[in-house]
Amino acid sequence: MTVSAFQTLEAALSDEHYPEVDLALRRGRHIGRDDGTQYEYLVDAQATLEVFYRRFGCELIQQSDGYFYLLPSGDRLGRRQLSAGQMLVGQTLALMYLDPVTLQHGGAVARETLLQRLQALLGIDVLVRTLEPRKRKYDERVAAETLRTKVAEALRRLADLGFVDVLDDTRLRLRPALMRFAEPVRGLGDPNVALERLVARGDVGLGEATDEPVDEMPDEES
Amino acid sequence: MSALLPSNPNRLIASLARDQVNIDLKTVDVCFVAGLYLRADRAALASFEEDILIDMFEQVCDVVDPGADNPRKRATHAIQRLREQRMLTRVDGAGIVRAGDYALTRLAAAVVEYFLTDEALTRENLTLLTGTLRVHLAEVLASAKKAEDGEAWRTTVVGPLRVTVSDLVSGIERRQRGLDAQQEEVQAEIAKLLQADWFSAIEQCQTLLDTTTSTLRELNEVLLRDTHHFVALLQEVQILAAAADNGETEDAVQRVIEHVDRIAAWGSTRQRAWSDYYQYIHRYLRDVVRLDPDRALSQRLRDQTAAWPGRPFFLRVADTPSILLLRALEARVERPPVAQPQAEREIEPKWVEPEDRHADIDALVEQALDAGFKTLAEVSARVLLELPESLHYAATGRIADVLGRRTPVRILHERPWTPVSSQIEIEDWAIHKKRAS
Repeated sequence: MTVSAFQTLEAALSDEHYPEVDLALRRGRHIGRDDGTQYEYLVDAQATLEVFYRRFGCELIQQSDGYFYLLPSGDRLGRRQLSAGQMLVGQTLALMYLDPVTLQHGGAVARETLLQRLQALLGIDVLVRTLEPRKRKYDERVAAETLRTKVAEALRRLADLGFVDVLDDTRLRLRPALMRFAEPVRGLGDPNVALERLVARGDVGLGEATDEPVDEMPDEES
Repeated sequence: MSALLPSNPNRLIASLARDQVNIDLKTVDVCFVAGLYLRADRAALASFEEDILIDMFEQVCDVVDPGADNPRKRATHAIQRLREQRMLTRVDGAGIVRAGDYALTRLAAAVVEYFLTDEALTRENLTLLTGTLRVHLAEVLASAKKAEDGEAWRTTVVGPLRVTVSDLVSGIERRQRGLDAQQEEVQAEIAKLLQADWFSAIEQCQTLLDTTTSTLRELNEVLLRDTHHFVALLQEVQILAAAADNGETEDAVQRVIEHVDRIAAWGSTRQRAWSDYYQYIHRYLRDVVRLDPDRALSQRLRDQTAAWPGRPFFLRVADTPSILLLRALEARVERPPVAQPQAEREIEPKWVEPEDRHADIDALVEQALDAGFKTLAEVSARVLLELPESLHYAATGRIADVLGRRTPVRILHERPWTPVSSQIEIEDWAIHKKRAS
């Protein structure tokens, strides 16, 4: 267990960073080294805050890639699952994060490159069926436009959650939190076993591929 | 360089646009100019005869476009092209009497120097430049203390500031740009090494990172230390110029101070940007490359993504909604309902006398003719008196029509325009006599 630089919970909560960090974590944001002093605060206060958040039925998780996030383990705090679009875009961005080509610009990539990679990995047909399951037939031109819209929506949400930074209309900066999408295949063992472990821990949920995020709101009576 | 800058940049831009100045050099042109530059440098030539130009072009053509036809003819076109592009200038005055002598222009020299000269920024050349600059600034300050009149200020202070000092400062800037280009190459090299060798490239990448970091740190230290001295010296000159009420010197000093500030700012921003990049690469090397020496993670993740639609899973995140903030109560202002004034829509009809304006006009024209009026103007003026003003304009046409039917008219070649009321004039007719009806 890490030793906290804050001797008491009161000291940690009195710090100027606490309100912003707490709100961000509760909204699902992944706070990493790119967030500067917020990350440093979490490193310093981790031991104290772990105990604090556990009382609310959630775990303060720190990953070796250098980011923190809050994982609700009980029903006291609201939680949600990412949508199909967010999952597909997130995994593709994680692949781009691993690609050395993105190093040249310090992790900045073009949106167009993301769209090309998605299309190359899955094909328009699979993308449309996954992101628009109600559509039986589609016009290719309209489908391309729909995909762009869905990807843009997914990027906005992923940026809110701290997986990526939107630099401008054309460029994104990849953040280490994207490695969370690669967790099931991180180890050398069977990915199915790794996925089961993540489900048991509450990191991941299984279900039908739908583009609607699933809200898992806490039970009001508890 | 600042001495050559116009006081009104808009005028320069407008004249360049008006003259449609453009520079369009093909690879063969750039190589041609570079070849001439190097030849002039080696042989200490001030100008080239046409035969030398053609010979150089043929050599360049062998490299750039080996299968080209008729290189001599192409050389003639290339020489003409470079003259139009202001890269070559004819320096003899013989006209068409004989083949000319040509020289490279400053523009050509600058283009070649950009590509050829290695202006790497090292601690040695930066220290040399800053040391030389400090000496010159000290001399300028000494001259400023002794200057007594405008001419002395101009020749011993402003002149050196605009030429020597500016050249030295520009030299530092050029080298800074060279280092920027080097850094981009280092970044590209690191990406290429990792793509090619992955785990085996870690040590090489580390060395590249450390070398560039150390170079940048040394340069920044020199810049921070020396630019501080420069600004102090320049400010002393500025104070002396202000005391002597010499605005020209103050402006020249201010421009150099801004130039020096830019150089200092370059060092800080580059340091910060490089530091961010350095940390990013280090994290990548530690968290991605070292932990996955066989680069298997990318392949496994690719497989996972491709198979995801058939075996979906979803990351879970916290999602607590924001606390509801109720809006502060405000007193509602009662607004009156929208209404319009009540008016009586139904109006009682009134009996009016029937009107036959045409018959009235006919009768009035008859009366005017009987009264002995001799011209259209006289008849019109008489009839219009009996009609309301709102009908005057329309009635004039009717009057002329009735007159024309009742009596023959005589029209002069030049029909005069005659006023018949305060607001109406007509082209007049003379009337013969009333026709028997």
